[in-house]
Amino acid sequence: MLNRIFGLETEYGLLVHQDRPDHSPAWFAHKLRDHIFNVQRRGLLDLHHRGHDEPPGNGGFLTNAGRMYLDMGHLEYASPECNSLTDVVASDRAGDLVLQQAIDELGWADDLSLIKNNIDHETDATFGSHENYLVTRRFPFTRRGLGPLVTFLVTRQIFTGSGRVGSASPQDAWIQVDRLIVPRASLGHGSDRAPLPYQISQRADHIVNDFFEWVQQNRAIVNTRDEPLADPNQYRRIHLLLGDSNMAEYATALKLGTTGLVLQLIEEGHAPRDLDLNEPVESLQEISQDQDRQWLVQLQSGKTISAIDIQEQFLAAAQTHCRGQDEETDWVLNQWEAVLRDLRGDYTKLVGRIDWASKLWLLESYREAEQAGWQDPMLKSLDLEYHNLNQGKSLYYGLLEEGRVPRLITDSAVAIAADHAPKNTRAFGRGELVKHLLAGGSPSEPDEPRPDERFFPAYVINWSIFQVRGRAPFPMPDPFRTYVQDVRSHLQGVTT
Amino acid sequence: MTHIAMPERREGPVDPMPKQPGPSEEGGGPKRPDTGSPEKDNLLKRMRKVDPKQAERYRQRTGE
Repeated sequence: MLNRIFGLETEYGLLVHQDRPDHSPAWFAHKLRDHIFNVQRRGLLDLHHRGHDEPPGNGGFLTNAGRMYLDMGHLEYASPECNSLTDVVASDRAGDLVLQQAIDELGWADDLSLIKNNIDHETDATFGSHENYLVTRRFPFTRRGLGPLVTFLVTRQIFTGSGRVGSASPQDAWIQVDRLIVPRASLGHGSDRAPLPYQISQRADHIVNDFFEWVQQNRAIVNTRDEPLADPNQYRRIHLLLGDSNMAEYATALKLGTTGLVLQLIEEGHAPRDLDLNEPVESLQEISQDQDRQWLVQLQSGKTISAIDIQEQFLAAAQTHCRGQDEETDWVLNQWEAVLRDLRGDYTKLVGRIDWASKLWLLESYREAEQAGWQDPMLKSLDLEYHNLNQGKSLYYGLLEEGRVPRLITDSAVAIAADHAPKNTRAFGRGELVKHLLAGGSPSEPDEPRPDERFFPAYVINWSIFQVRGRAPFPMPDPFRTYVQDVRSHLQGVTT
Repeated sequence: MTHIAMPERREGPVDPMPKQPGPSEEGGGPKRPDTGSPEKDNLLKRMRKVDPKQAERYRQRTGE
């Protein structure tokens, strides 16, 4: 899409299918990572400390220029920078493919499943699917400027949610009120919750703030950490952590595409106004949990309006200002319109395209066949199985096998995206670097290192800069540039 | 398998992604689920194979 770089970060859950497993999930996660880097040689492990929780060897960049690593005990995959929805969907699915292939090669398919979801029903643990959108530095990143984005994000879950059985316990969170950080409970929010059969979002229960910079506690609708991973004078990275991991390619594309267009509307001053929500965090949870799927929210003006009506106002603005700018934009506008229309009717029309609808239909089918109540613990297990990466077991892939799921890309495109970076972003240059070093191009230890080289590892690779020992740092501040010829020139003569 | 038309990526690696067949103007999507179909039987068969205890076994840490 026009002038947009997309990225997705996915934390996977790991399910060991044994009553008394010989090893912990973390042990399996380490072995999978080691297999991917050391046996399959899909990438280069970091040789340097990336942070306090990322020691050398914790993870690294792949030949597709994305990253695979361990984070808080989870295997996590970050896609490379993508300039199109097709690329980001393929790159996201590539992470699933790489991990499942590692499980299969290790002969663990019966022992282990990777689950692409965001919750643990039993412990209320949550883990993320983070979206990244590059915007210009002129983006109005203020509470007022971000108002339309908050409204859009709170209401988009009607087509981006992955659905879940039940709800999380009230979150023990601290939130920012004016300049004070206070316990959320002190404001009387989130104290009484009746058990829920089903809700449309996995993450809504875990979002407790509208704006905040942290990611582990006080998760916010808009994360305010300023870390562009690019030239900070030109760019800002909008980092969102309120979304669910999607299994449906269609839902992934629609989520990123509609959000990208709304960011464009805000950048250009065309976003609908007067739609600021009275209580965005409460609205997020109320929409998700609304069993009647009326999805009503109250605006600051006092008006009550449905999430579908709000989305239609954003769609109308995008139709006026963005229609015709490129093929992907028009695809997003067409599908956005179709989904909003279908959401006004029977939810089963959306099975295959929208994850919460697919999962709900599966669970209702099971309940009907087995005469099971919503409190049947089997439903939580089926909920997990929807997200299994193992195509022979996964309920999502079962739907796909039965011809109920539209595809946006082919399996061959996913396989290509697992090995190769998109060729129209900075990822291309980084992918060339990783391939060069993997092919034996890592600089050898100098016999007589200069003092400043003595402790320098053979390579240091980050999103916006890299350095190989003996060479000057190579900055890549512009994600829209491939840098590929410059990278190739820079690496000439770098061999073992 | 149903495909929804989506633009080709502009500069795909190695071989470009194929143009997807099928109209999308009506929202595309799969056929509407019905009851008692063979497909539904297959899905129910798959669901019945799921370990009912796996949600209990799935003990994850909070991440980010």
